[in-house]
Formats: sequence, C-alpha cells, structure tokens
Amino acid sequence: MLFRYLLILLILLPLKVFALIEVDITRGNLSPLPVAVSPLSIDEKSKSNFKKILKKEDLGSEISAVVENNLRQSGLFNPLSKNAFLQKPDIANLKPRFEDWNLIKAQALITGKVTFVDEKLRVEFRLWDVLAGKEMMALAFTTVPSNWRRVGHIITDKVYERLTGESGYFDTRIIYVSEEGPKTNRIKKLAVMDQDGFNNKYLTLGNELVLTPRFSPTNQMVTYLSYFRNLPRVYLLDIETGMQEVVGDFPGMTFAPRFSPDGKKIIMSFAKDGNSDIYTMDLENRIVERITNHPSIDTSPSYSPNGKYITFNSDRSGYQQIYVMDSSGNNVKRISFGNGLYGTPVWSPRGDLIAFTKLHKGKFYIGVMRTDGTGERLLTENFYQEAPSWSPNGRVLIFYRETKTDSKGEGFSAKLWSIDLTGYNEKMVATETDASDPSWSSLLTN
Amino acid sequence: MNRNIVISFGLHTLLVIITAMSLPFLAKEPIDLPPIVSVELIQISDKTNIPFAPKAKKIIEKIKEKEKEKKIVSEQAPPKMAKKEKQDAIPLPEEKIEEIKEIKEKKQNPEKIETEVKQVSEFEKKDLFNPDSIAALIDKSKVETAETSKKTEKITQDQDKSIDFGGLSLSEEDALKAQIFGCWSIPLGLPYNENLLVRIKLQLKPDGSIMRSEILDHARMNKPGQGFYKVLAESALRAIKLCQPLRVPSTGYERWKELQLNFDAREMLEG
Amino acid sequence: MNLSKILKNGFLVLVASLVLTACATQKKSGQTQGDVYTGTDSVEYLASGVKDRVFFATNETVLTTASRETLRKQAAWLRKNSKITIILEGHADERGTREYNLALGERRANSAKDYLMTYGISSDRISVLSYGKERPVDSGSSPLAWSKNRRSVSVKAN
Repeated sequence: MLFRYLLILLILLPLKVFALIEVDITRGNLSPLPVAVSPLSIDEKSKSNFKKILKKEDLGSEISAVVENNLRQSGLFNPLSKNAFLQKPDIANLKPRFEDWNLIKAQALITGKVTFVDEKLRVEFRLWDVLAGKEMMALAFTTVPSNWRRVGHIITDKVYERLTGESGYFDTRIIYVSEEGPKTNRIKKLAVMDQDGFNNKYLTLGNELVLTPRFSPTNQMVTYLSYFRNLPRVYLLDIETGMQEVVGDFPGMTFAPRFSPDGKKIIMSFAKDGNSDIYTMDLENRIVERITNHPSIDTSPSYSPNGKYITFNSDRSGYQQIYVMDSSGNNVKRISFGNGLYGTPVWSPRGDLIAFTKLHKGKFYIGVMRTDGTGERLLTENFYQEAPSWSPNGRVLIFYRETKTDSKGEGFSAKLWSIDLTGYNEKMVATETDASDPSWSSLLTN
Repeated sequence: MNRNIVISFGLHTLLVIITAMSLPFLAKEPIDLPPIVSVELIQISDKTNIPFAPKAKKIIEKIKEKEKEKKIVSEQAPPKMAKKEKQDAIPLPEEKIEEIKEIKEKKQNPEKIETEVKQVSEFEKKDLFNPDSIAALIDKSKVETAETSKKTEKITQDQDKSIDFGGLSLSEEDALKAQIFGCWSIPLGLPYNENLLVRIKLQLKPDGSIMRSEILDHARMNKPGQGFYKVLAESALRAIKLCQPLRVPSTGYERWKELQLNFDAREMLEG
Repeated sequence: MNLSKILKNGFLVLVASLVLTACATQKKSGQTQGDVYTGTDSVEYLASGVKDRVFFATNETVLTTASRETLRKQAAWLRKNSKITIILEGHADERGTREYNLALGERRANSAKDYLMTYGISSDRISVLSYGKERPVDSGSSPLAWSKNRRSVSVKAN
C-alpha cells in the first residue's frame, strides 16, 4: 500500500520538465512563389534538326519560355531572371547545385532536356525542391515537333498542380469572336487560340454575323449562333474539319447555346412569338426537349458539372435575375436577390460557384455567388463588361470589356480580360483584333 | 391644351400657398454641440514582456469570453495545475488556460475601463495584431475583426502558456512568428473549407538551426483525396528551411530546444 | 406666422419649383419622352408619312401611343400594297447582356407584329428577326444614342 502511494507520488512529483512549446503560425505571405525555370538543355544535333523543322534557334529555351510565361501570367509564381542563373542547363538537369539556386532565392527549380528521336520531339523535365534539396517530380513526353508549345503547357500544368494542389489550366484553348470595323457594322468572325494567345486561327470568314461560341467539354466541337442567310440559328462547328451544321430544325431563332457536361446535348433558347424558352437537343438521336415553359424570357442556360442542374437567366420576376432548376426543368428557384440586373450565369467546373454579370446604377460587374445564391462577391467593375467563362480548374474567369465611344461616336473597342477568383491578377488577354464572347476549353490532355 | 394649362397653373399656385404657410423658416437657433471626448495619449514602451502583460491578456480574454459565453471550469488551486502538466497531452494546456483565466477574471473585476484602453494599446504596436483588433473589442459585428480577435485570442492563450510554463516570452514568440510569417509562401490553391493544419515538431540546435523535423500528421500526406495536405505540408517545411537559423532566444536552450510549429492556412485563405 | 415670413417662403418655393419645372420641360421638348425616342433622326419612310420604325423604353417592350400611331399607318400602307411582305427587325441598346438583348429584340419586334395583325395584316406577311444589340444605328454611348437604338424597324422583304 505504502509502496503504491510512493509510486503515485513519484509519478505526480512536479518534474523539472518543460512543456513542449507550441507556436501557432496563422499567417504567411501570398506573394508569388519564386521559381527558377532553367532553359531546357538540348544537344547540338537535336538543336539543328529542330531548327530545320520548326525554324526555332533553340527549342530548349523556347519551351522553357512557354513555361516561364505561363507561370508568370498565373500570378502565383515569380520566375526569376535567367541572368542570375549560375548552373548550365545540361548540368542542372542531372544534379543541380542547390546552393547556387538557393543563392538567388529560388524555392523551386525546373530543369529538363530536349531530344530529337525518331523524327519526334522528346522532352524530359524535373521539378526540384531547392530548399529540401530533392527532386519533386520527373516526367517525359514524346510528340510531334509541331506540338512543342503544348509540351510547355503540359509541363506548366504538372508543375502548377504539384506546387499549388490545384489542377492547371495551361494546356487549353480559348474560342472567341474577333471583331473589326465600325460599331454600326461590325465584322465578326469565330477565332480560336491557345490560352497564352499563340496559334490564333480564324474559323469563319466574317460574311455572316456570329456570336457566343462555346467549346464542347469532351472534344473539338464548338456551338455558336450564326446569322447565315439572315436566319439566326444555333450551329455546330468541328474545329478540325471546319464542317458546320445547324442544330435542329426550329421554326424560329435559336440562340445562347451551350453543351451538356457529357458533350451529348446542346441546351439553348428558342424564341417564338415574343417568348424565349429553354430547350435541349440530343446530338445523337436529335430528340428535342422543352425545359422551360413560361411567358417570360428564359435564356443563357448553363449546366452544373454533374449535369443535374441548370442555371439560367429569366425576367419572370419583372427584371433579369438568375435561377436554378433541375435538368428536367422542375424546382425553379431564384438565387439572385441583390440590387440590380443579373445575367449570363455560368456554373463553375468545380460545381461550387456560379459566375455572372450584374448591372447596377449604370455600371457592369463580374461576380460570383454560391449555387444557392449566398456569398455574392463582385470581382470587378467597369463601364461595360460581361459574359464570364471559367478556366477548367474553376479558378480564373475570362470575360470581355467594351469601351465608351467619344462624342463623335469613335473610339469603340472590345477586348478580352481575365481575373483570378480572388479578385487579383486582373489583366487583358492580348488578341490580334478586338474580341468578345470568350469561352474556355477544358484541358486538352484528357 | 388650354384647359391643361389652367389646371396646371391652379394646382401649382395651390402648392405654393400650402408650402408657404407651413414651411418652417430657418430660425437662428443655436447648434447643439456634442460633448468633447477627452483622449488620453499613452506611452508605448519597447518591451512586451512586462508585468502588465498578463492583465492586458485578461482583459482581451474577458471580452472574448463575454462574446463567446464560454463555460468556465471550476477554480482549482494553482499547485494542482503544475502536477497535471504532461508533455505529450496536448488538450491539457487548454484546460489550464481556462482555469487561469477564471482566477484572473475574478481579480480583474474592480479594474477600471481606462486601464483596459491602456493595456490594449500596448499590443497596438505589434505587427501581429491588426489595428483592427482594437476595433474588434468595440465593434464585434465586423467579420474581419472577428477574425483578428480570434487571432488575438489564440495568441493570448500562448502567452498564457508561456508566462506560466516558462516557455517563450511574448516578445520571443512574436519574433519567431514574425520571422516565419515572412518565410511561409502559402499555396493559394488549397481548399479553404478543409482542415489546413500542419503540425511540425522541431529539434533545434542552440543557434536556431534545425536538427530534426517531423510532420505530426505524416500519414495524411499520402491519403487519397488529401493531396492538398502534402502541398501544404511541403510549403510549411520550405518555410522552416528558408527561415534557418530560427529566431530563438539567446538563453534557456533547455526550454525551447524542442518546438512545435502549428501552421494553419485557414485564416489566410478564408479571408 | 406674419406676412413677411409667408412672402419669404412663397418666394423661395416659387423659385425652387420654377427651377424644377424648367428641367422637366427640357426632357419633354427634347428628343425623348420618358425614355423613348421621339425624334426623327435615323427614321426612314416606307411611304410618304409612313415611318418605318417604333421606339421603346429601356428594358421595355410595350408600344407607346406614338408607336401605335406609326404602326397604324404602316398597317394602312400594307393593306393598300397587299403584295408586300415585311421583316420586323427588333433591336436593343448596348447596355445589356448580349443573349438577353437578343430575346428582348425578338419580343419588341413581336410587339409590333401583334399590333399590325390586329389591324388585319396576315402573319405570313410579317417575319420577325432580332439583332439584339448587334446593329446599333447610333454608335454613341449616351442615353440619347441608346434611345435611338431601342427600336423595331419594318423592312420591305420583296
């Protein structure tokens, strides 16, 4: 008994032990992560081969430049100046001297090698954690030489994902309407480009008015509105072949088309006798289904990523507001309740948010709200801007802005702009001509 | 057309007459001046590790508790607390804090409001504490300030710990935190509605460099669906490595040679 | 209240109301009434005295009295020239989202069409085409310019 007590006493005796000190770190900095993108090393023979085929002096540097530009544009990374790099690309790829890279304050390092093998382009790259002094990732790609830019985009996606935890959005394309000429007689053409502005291609000639093109989520099809023969109808266009076909056989204007998440249906508005309702058409069996049946204007439909819900724009309450309903058209619920008019609702690929355009007191806003209408956040304000479209990772919105004309009616322009979901990194997306109605494709590597 | 003019004129005249009769003319009345508010200018001292500090903490905690209506643990005599002290039982420190607070609360009741203001301003100069933290005490409706008050509360809990368990002093902890805040690049892509807490245990050398580091929730790094945790943990490790040698106190190696850093990205991402 | 005070008040109120009414009359006698364009700038004629277009208020698709008068004249002219078919082109101003404006233009054109039909014009003589905000007649960015663009125009199809 006594022994037991002694034991307890011994255990409970206050020992000169110090508590494990815990320090809470609840803040950090949100500044872009410094990364070093080393030019990819390339042997002389491959270099000259690629120079012959692609007319590029140093393909290793070209590919790393694509990666560097992508990372910088994302606003999350700060690619360091190459002038400060101490190690040569070929050595850095084998075994980087981390102290050298640490010296310039890089926290991550990208190195790689480009080779010409069997008429093909082969790229290997590695991502290094400079502070930990170890390799984080190593991958190799083989493709046709003309795809070299895509390799740069894919590398960026992999690096982005590894360092942020989010999937990337760099190996994607943007389709938009190219605009030229006076406001009273604009020439509009469908155009498609890589998300970084390169490889711009016109898809129509400008002979008829074209509007609101949207990418299919699954393949290289596009749906859009065309005024071919003065009959505004929804069309399908195959980017690879250039073939166009009208969607369905509607006795009136169809417009505002989008694809369903599985790419099998087109959802759109059909206007008849002053009333616009939402319809879908199955692309395989051509069956048309009516989704809304209301004397108000119902338009701008957009599916949720799981295909179960549709968000759309309706003036059934008197003014343009945003609604959500089942994909069958039941359970229509209004979700926008702020002051002003709401339009162009578009569901995020992450399923958590709906982006929209808002007009209030003469100003236009691009904003997001949760799918039940709460948490409305306005990201940017302007004289005129509309039609946000989501990047495939649901992080970035691309939209377009128009400028006012002066007293003479001149000076009108339209340009594409993008902004991060947090409201940061608002910037113009460069296009050859004026541009509007942008739509972002899903990742090309699927 | 003529009829309309006559009616309009008539109605207008009627309106003029009505307003003329009832319009209160601006009389030369004296203006009501609000009473003058006297403001006391307070001297801010350099050191933060002062005897006052515990009182100030009490005040902030008291106000926080009033807000939150926390349940107060029954009072226990101080010696007992020391016995309960165990190194690896993490929940325990919290219990103790509540007890301490309770005791201090009783002591602080007779204190005047003026003292509150004084003590609060001591904290004002800290980078950690937003100027908003003062507003937090006054205007509890602001969401922003609610967050900073959360921060303040967390920090005060630490201070509590430190004062009573001989850990880092307020200024020492502030210095270390400020250092790591500058080194930690928080990855922006993390889902803000998940648990974003990474706890890293460190064994340090006397000069502040790291001998060993251990991620306490290591298993979570490779769990499917928790990929972001790996990214978060790696960013925390990078922060620590970048910050070497850590800003540790110059004395008392024994008390801080083992340190646990709790990285929580939630506040930064949610806000 | 003494007389001088009443006079002072009366004078103040009179001046104030004059200022107000002055502003009001400017709206009326100018080119828009309410929000609807009432001028003749940009208006063309299908025949002598028959205007080819009607105008609308912002976000509205209802016909004003003036619009109805124009359409009655159009109907009379169409009855006289029974072989002519027309296209009603509906338009909207630039201060709205593109797709909604397409629907709005269609509704405006249909407002005009319905009215013409009540005056005996058969619906197979009238087709409707909406241009939304794509074909403004005035490229300015002012309320007056916008009011000229909110229109439904009757265009001879044959």
